[in-house]
Amino acid sequence: MKLDKNALGTPYGRVGVGNQTNLEIIGNNSDVSVGEIFMIYSSRDGHERVFFFRVLGLQNYLRRVDDVSEIAGTLMVEGESYLSGIERNMLLSLDGRMLGYAEQERGKWVFRSPRRLPDHLAFVYRPLPGTSDETVNLMLSSQIDGEVFVGDLQVGEATLDVPVMIPAEFLPMHVGIFGSTGAGKSNLMMVLIKSFIDHNLGASQSKVDSKPRMSAFCIDPHDEFAKGVDDHGIQSVVDAMDQQTRSDVIGDFYYLTTHLRATPREVKRYAREINVLWNEIQPRDLYSIMEFTPQGQLLIDSVYSRVHEGWIDHLLKMDEDSEAKAGAQKGTLRAVQRRLRFLERSSIFNDSGTSILDDVFEAAETGRILVVNTSLMSDREQFLLTTVVARTLFDLRRAAKSSGNLGDFERQGEMRLPRPFFQRVKNKARAYYGKGGTTNQTEIRDLKMLPVIQITVEEAPSILNPELMRGRSVFKDISRQGRKFNIGLLVVSQQVSVLDNVILSQMNTEINLRLGNEKEIKACIENASVNIAGFEGEFRVMARGEALLTASYRELPLPVKIPLFDTVFERDKSLYKAKGTKKKETHHL
Amino acid sequence: MLEKILTDRFRKLVRAVLTDVRNQQDLRDEKEFAKDEERIKNELLDDIVPCPANEVLDEDFTVAAVDGSGTENFGILDDVRLHLVSTSVVVLQSNTRRGTLFEPMDRAQLESELNQEQPHLDMHWHSGVRNDARDKLAASLSDIYPNKSVTDLIVHFFQDYLGPHVSSFSDIDSTDYAKHKSKLESIQGLISRAGFLTNTAVHDELRRVSEYAAARTVLISEIRPKYILLDGALSVFMHFVLKYPSMPSGFMLRELCSLSRERNVILCAVSKNHTIPFAHRIAKMAEEKFGTGSKWFCLLPSQKDPGGGLHIYSDRTYIPPRLAVPYLFSFSEDNRPSRIDFDRVWWKKNIFVRDDPAKTREKEKALFQEIEFMSRDARWYGYPVALALAHEECKLSYEDLRMAREVFADVLHELGADVRRSTPMREDYGL
Repeated sequence: MKLDKNALGTPYGRVGVGNQTNLEIIGNNSDVSVGEIFMIYSSRDGHERVFFFRVLGLQNYLRRVDDVSEIAGTLMVEGESYLSGIERNMLLSLDGRMLGYAEQERGKWVFRSPRRLPDHLAFVYRPLPGTSDETVNLMLSSQIDGEVFVGDLQVGEATLDVPVMIPAEFLPMHVGIFGSTGAGKSNLMMVLIKSFIDHNLGASQSKVDSKPRMSAFCIDPHDEFAKGVDDHGIQSVVDAMDQQTRSDVIGDFYYLTTHLRATPREVKRYAREINVLWNEIQPRDLYSIMEFTPQGQLLIDSVYSRVHEGWIDHLLKMDEDSEAKAGAQKGTLRAVQRRLRFLERSSIFNDSGTSILDDVFEAAETGRILVVNTSLMSDREQFLLTTVVARTLFDLRRAAKSSGNLGDFERQGEMRLPRPFFQRVKNKARAYYGKGGTTNQTEIRDLKMLPVIQITVEEAPSILNPELMRGRSVFKDISRQGRKFNIGLLVVSQQVSVLDNVILSQMNTEINLRLGNEKEIKACIENASVNIAGFEGEFRVMARGEALLTASYRELPLPVKIPLFDTVFERDKSLYKAKGTKKKETHHL
Repeated sequence: MLEKILTDRFRKLVRAVLTDVRNQQDLRDEKEFAKDEERIKNELLDDIVPCPANEVLDEDFTVAAVDGSGTENFGILDDVRLHLVSTSVVVLQSNTRRGTLFEPMDRAQLESELNQEQPHLDMHWHSGVRNDARDKLAASLSDIYPNKSVTDLIVHFFQDYLGPHVSSFSDIDSTDYAKHKSKLESIQGLISRAGFLTNTAVHDELRRVSEYAAARTVLISEIRPKYILLDGALSVFMHFVLKYPSMPSGFMLRELCSLSRERNVILCAVSKNHTIPFAHRIAKMAEEKFGTGSKWFCLLPSQKDPGGGLHIYSDRTYIPPRLAVPYLFSFSEDNRPSRIDFDRVWWKKNIFVRDDPAKTREKEKALFQEIEFMSRDARWYGYPVALALAHEECKLSYEDLRMAREVFADVLHELGADVRRSTPMREDYGL
C-alpha cells in the first residue's frame, strides 16, 4: 500500500551528504531544535521506506556563501550594507543520526536498524502533531508497543500523540531509571505506577485469563506518590475507583508506612504499618546492604547455622566468652554487634509483632501495587527492607520454579525461607503456585502466568555498587536470574557510573532522563542497550520530564516526553469507574 | 613542471618580464598620466554622497541584471563543437518603503513575466568548415535573438552613429553605407569577421547575443525596470574597413540602447576588468582627495567631449568604447576600481548638460548615488547586487559541467553512438 506522504508531516528539506549512520539534511530556516526527529521518504528501487533521523547538531547555512564570517564582518564594518533576497538562501544544515527505517513487510510495518541509505536528495518531512501521529504510530508499532505506558513520543520540543510503552514481558529483564535531581524521576515513577494499575485494571476486566497482572514494590523516599506533587497522586486513582474496581485492583491496602498515625486520613484507609521481624531477615540480606569482614561473616554464618532464625537476637546478646567459644577473633563480635545495633533502634525491624511480609507476599502474588513510604526511615532501614522483600519473593518463586509439585515446593520453601514466615504463608503460596489445586501432587504453575513483580531499588548505588555486588548480594542473583522467576528490578539512580557491571549488563530497558554531568552522560551512553553514541549533546539540553528510552529488544532509541501525572490522571480518570461507564481513551497534548 | 616553477630561474624570468613591462609600457604611461593628472583630479573625479541606509526613496525603483556563462568545449564530435550557454535575469525592487532592500522578484513571477525559464540553458553547435561556420553561427544567432528582422535591427546603429536622419533601412541609401546594403540584410551578412571565427570568437558571440536577447526580453516585458545592468562593457567592435560593427552583436547592442531610451531604462554595463591604465593611481588620487574609505567615480571622456580624451588612453582605441561613456568607480576601499559604461546617446540626453559642467556633475552624482545604493550587499559589497545575483544564478561550476557531460554521454549512448565521443581524446591516453 502506497504511503500518503502528506501524513508524514510538513515538507522540510532534502537529504544532503552522509552515510547510513550519520547524515546531513539541508532544510528551511525554521525553528528546529536538537533532538528533533525527521522522516525521510525514500523509494529507491521501488522499495518504499521511511527513514527516521534525529538531529544532533544544527548549523546556519547560507546558500552560495563560502565565508559567512566575511559577510558578518562586512555587515559590521559597512553599517549601511544589506543582504538582498537572502531569506531564500538562509537554510539550516542539520547533522544527525540515522535511527533506522520503517518498511512494510507483508502489509505490516516493521522497523529496521540503519543499514540502508535513503534516495539521493530524498524529501525530508517534519512530523506535525495532529497530522503525523497515526502514521508514525503505525510505522513504529514494533518499537513502541507494550503494556506499560512511559510517555509520548517526542519529536524535538513537540510531542506526538504516539504513546511509548514497555512490554510487560521485558520487565523481569530489569529497568533502569537514570536522572539527576529534578529530572523528573518521581513523576515518572508515579506515571509508571499508574500504568501498572491501569494494566491490572485491564487484566481484571479481561474475560481471558491469559493476561498476567503486574505487581510492584515501589519505594517512595519523599512520600510523594500517594498524595502527589501537585493536585493528584496514586490516592486520586484509588479514590476515582468504584468499590468493586478498587477491591479487584488495589485490594485492602496499597500504602506501607513507618508511621500509620501520621498518615493523612484518606490514605490511612489503604495503609499498613511496616513491621518486619528479625527472624525474617537472613544473613545475606545484611551482606547485601553493608560490608562485613570475612571474620564477621564467618561469625554470623556460624551463629545462623546453629540458631537459624534467632541469629540476630543471639548475636546481639552474645558476650566475649561466647565469642571465644565460637572461635571468632577478638573484636569481631563487637564489630558485628555494632553493625546490627540499628535493628534494635529500628521501628520497622522488630523481634516480635505482626509481620507485614505476609501481606507483601500476598499483594505481590495477586498483582497489586505497593507504595512504600520510606521518608522517615534511615537509608539502612530502607535498603534492608527492599532486600528482605526482594529476597523473600525471589526465594519463594525460586522454590516454586525448582519444584515439580506443591509437595516439593513446601520442602524447598522450608529449606530456603525463614521457617516461621514460610509456615504462615505456605498455604497461600500453595494456592498461588498450584495449577488448579493445593494438594502435594498438584503441579506448579508456569511462573510466566504469575504476576510480573517489579521491585524498586531506590538510591541504587548504595546497594548495587561493585563492592557489595562482589559479595553474596541477593541482588546479584535477582539481576542474573530474576527473568526466570518473572521478577525484575526497577533500578532508580542519579548515577550510572557507580553501578555494578553485573546489574548494568543485565538491564534491558533504560529510561534515561537528564543527567548531571559529562561523566554520567558518558556512562549512560556506554551502557545503553542500543547504540546511542553521539547523543551527548542531546543529554546536555534535555529538559525536565524528557527521556531517552533504550531497550535491547528495540532498534530505535525513543525520545519520550513523560507527561505530568496530573495530566494523565485527568485524562484517564473516567477509566476507573465501573464497567460500562468507561470513556474512550484519548490523548490531549 | 613544479620543479621548474620553484626554481630561481623561473623567478628571474618573471622579474625580467615585469621589468620590461615597467620600462616600456609603464614609463610611457607614466608620462602620459602626468599630463592628465590635474584634469582628472580637478574635473573628472568626484565623490559620492551615499544615500542613508534607512532612506525611504520618493519612488522605489526596479533594477534588472543579465549575466551569462558557458563553455565552448562542452562536447566535441570530430570537428563539431558543442557550446553550452547559460543566461540569467535577476530583477530586484529597491523596496525602501518595506525595508527589505533589493528584494528579488519571485522566480515564478519572473518566468511568467519573461515567458522563459530562469536561469536559461541553451546549446549550439558549430563546425570549423569555412562557410558552414558562418551559416551555422548566423542560424544560431537568429534563433537566439528575438528580433528576427535584420533590416529593422541594423537601423539603430546607423541612427546612433550617423544621426537621426537614418530612421529606416531605406535611409541607408543616402549614406556612405549604401554600397554595403546587401550585406546588411541578413545575419550572415553582418558577420564580417567570418575569416576569424575561431571557437572562442564563436562562443563569445553566442554568449553575448544570449545575454542581449535576455536583456531585450526584459525591456519588452512589463517589468519596466529603471536600470538594466549587463556584465562587461558596452563595446561595439567596428570593422576596420566597413566602419560598422563586425559582428551582429554590435547591432543588437545598439538596438538594446535604442529600446532602453524609448522605455526610459538606464542601460549600463559593469566591468570588473576595466582595462583602464593607471586606474590604481586614480584610486590613490581619490583617497588623497576625499579621504580613506570614500566612494568615488571618474569620467573617462572621449575626444568629442569638452576638454577631449585623456592622454593615457589616446592610443587605446577601445577606450572609451564606440557610442559609450565609461566611468571608473569605487564604492569600497577593499575593492579595486571597476568600470561602468553608459549609452552615449542616453548620456548626452540625460546626464550631460552642454556648457554647464556643474549641472552635469550634479546629475552624475545623483546617478552614482543610486548605483552605489544598489551595491551594498554584504556578500559583494561595492558591486551591484543585481549583477552579482545574476552571476551566481548563471554560473556553470565544474560540478555542473561534469553532471551535464554525464547527461551528454547518456544521450549519446541512447542514440547508439560511442560514449567515448563525449570525452576529450587525450583521455584515451590518460593525458
